[in-house]
Amino acid sequence: MQEKVEKFIVPIGPQHPALKEPGHFEFSVDGEEVTGATIRLGFVHRGIEKMTESRTWIQNLYMLERVCGICSHVHGIAYTLGVEKLAGVTVPPRAQAIRTIVLELERIQSHMLWLGVAAHEGGFDTLFMYSWRDRETVMDLFELISGNRVQHSVNLVGGVKYDITPEQKQKVLDGLNYLEGRIQYYEKIITTDDTFLGRTRNVGKMTKEEATLLGAVGPTARASGVERDVRVESPYASYPGHPVNIVLDEGGDLTSRFIVRIREMFESIRVIREILTNLPESELTVRVPRRIPAGEVISRVEAPRGELFYYIKSAGGENPYRIKIRTPSLCNWGTISSVAVGHKLADMPMLLVGIDPCFSCNDRLVTVRKETSSQTMYWEDLRKYGVEYYQ
Amino acid sequence: MSLTLPSLVSILVFPAGMFLILLGMVYEYVDRKLVARYQNRFGPRWFQPLADMFKLLAKEEIIPDGVNKALFIFLPILGVTAALTSALYTPMLGFAPAFSFRGDLILVVYMLSVLTICLGLAGANTVDRFSLVGATRTLTQLFSYEAPFMLTLLGPALAAGTLQISQINAYAQDTWWMILTQPIGFLVALIGLMGKLELPPFDAPEAETEIVSGALTEYSGRGLALFRIGKNVELVIGLTLISAFYLGGLANPLEFILKTLGLLLVIALLQSLFARLRIDQTVGLWWRIGAILALVQILILVVGRLFF
Repeated sequence: MQEKVEKFIVPIGPQHPALKEPGHFEFSVDGEEVTGATIRLGFVHRGIEKMTESRTWIQNLYMLERVCGICSHVHGIAYTLGVEKLAGVTVPPRAQAIRTIVLELERIQSHMLWLGVAAHEGGFDTLFMYSWRDRETVMDLFELISGNRVQHSVNLVGGVKYDITPEQKQKVLDGLNYLEGRIQYYEKIITTDDTFLGRTRNVGKMTKEEATLLGAVGPTARASGVERDVRVESPYASYPGHPVNIVLDEGGDLTSRFIVRIREMFESIRVIREILTNLPESELTVRVPRRIPAGEVISRVEAPRGELFYYIKSAGGENPYRIKIRTPSLCNWGTISSVAVGHKLADMPMLLVGIDPCFSCNDRLVTVRKETSSQTMYWEDLRKYGVEYYQ
Repeated sequence: MSLTLPSLVSILVFPAGMFLILLGMVYEYVDRKLVARYQNRFGPRWFQPLADMFKLLAKEEIIPDGVNKALFIFLPILGVTAALTSALYTPMLGFAPAFSFRGDLILVVYMLSVLTICLGLAGANTVDRFSLVGATRTLTQLFSYEAPFMLTLLGPALAAGTLQISQINAYAQDTWWMILTQPIGFLVALIGLMGKLELPPFDAPEAETEIVSGALTEYSGRGLALFRIGKNVELVIGLTLISAFYLGGLANPLEFILKTLGLLLVIALLQSLFARLRIDQTVGLWWRIGAILALVQILILVVGRLFF
């Protein structure tokens, strides 16, 4: 009888205290050392792309803002930018500025949330509690601007709903001043605290070449030194007038990912201040026709987690013909399974969270899995499978 | 201060038994509340540990498939019994220990380890993967902190020239606080206690984000409640021992409360200051730093006694 090598597999998920959303990870371990990792997604597929096809252009905005609970505004932006391009309208500059302000506030909010979650995965609950307490400042600013804390719903197709009054402007600036001080404090902690560095330094190290090869996006890629930021590559909204400095770090490990996200918050604060002090005067909305002319458009924006990609196709009717969304988390999954091997089991939760995954946003396709083992499908197989499945 | 009680009372009511279980809950509450305040949270209400305990005791106890049933039920009882027994030999509330004999310190240290061993065995008894990893980590951690922790308790014993807890306590009251004469020992003992109780940052054996609840993942209801009682009791006894040895002894209830709660304040602060250590980091810390520091302390003591 052939000797069978038994693997000790530690399953994480779909229900597990480390995960805030369902996903399934299988780590085969040898003692504490991880020898293999597989990822299985698709537990929270919601069929949003299909739903968009039966809703009007206006209704879709509200649904697409609900793709993600953390970065709802950026989905609205990607959608409206695309639709406005199709309709051939130009949004007034003040609306652009307000959109950008909310975008950057959202980035701060998302990174603060991530900082807390990542610290919690590393067993550093004090940092978790502190960062979430300070995140409340941004949430209050959202409430001040739009009346909502999470689903801000600032966008309209063709403009924004809410203006920023001088009093609100002052409050936003005050809030940013407070946050800047706090973020400086957190930067000091993550770069100097020994126990924290012990858990992050040289964990999940990824070189620039690997990050490029695996198609990493957003802060995950920038922490490996890959210059990839849509705000810089193809600026949208107010970014052409107020350019963003790309934040890079060469380390490629978890420490770098912390540093990049923390420094991005400083950059966001700088951009918001710049735009707020030069807020242009204009209308807030422009009229957009109910029927969008036929055509197709690609809309790319930089979400807090990386590049968010929208493909929108119109057949000239009241509903879109097809909307395809690709969220940044999907691009970053590959980095986990390849860098996990050789690390300790204890590093896995932090490594998972290191890319700031957002499960329900990226769940699109059901993975094909045979009963005996998982299966790798190449593009041709996948295409064939798709054609056969939908016949 | 001495208090003579019938044996049955001292086993069932004071200092072991009901009193210690309730005191353990009070200390658990204080610990949780302090950590919460350090973390800028509100923390639990005063009766939360009691409510948790009643809830757990009232719940159904599920015995999973693939375990040795007798062991599964027996291990929590053994753990709690060992922890409660060790209380009989410690100066609880500042009163003289209910029982005492030459060398009872060794018995107490042994009894305190029994709970951890029970925890490890309970994890290894089940077939659950999280439990198995947790059990491995629990026992690994036991082997790393145990030696330094014992050495630090040996320091005051050497200074007092006896292994009897009541005599060390009496000696500590007559001389300088040993935190001043043996600061290294105190520090290692305090951190050793945190390792023993699996408090953060030494909570790798029950790291919830990695292995759910570690060795206790499969426990529910009564078994879980008993293990938690055992942990609480161990917290109280550990604090009692360290304050009796290093903080000038325990002469009366007031001193007991002040000194142990003072220690708990420091332990709660240490709990909220650091990120969780990986198990390899924990072992490295104890054997590379903890054990050597404790040995140096003992060496200084022995040399000091030889020449002065």
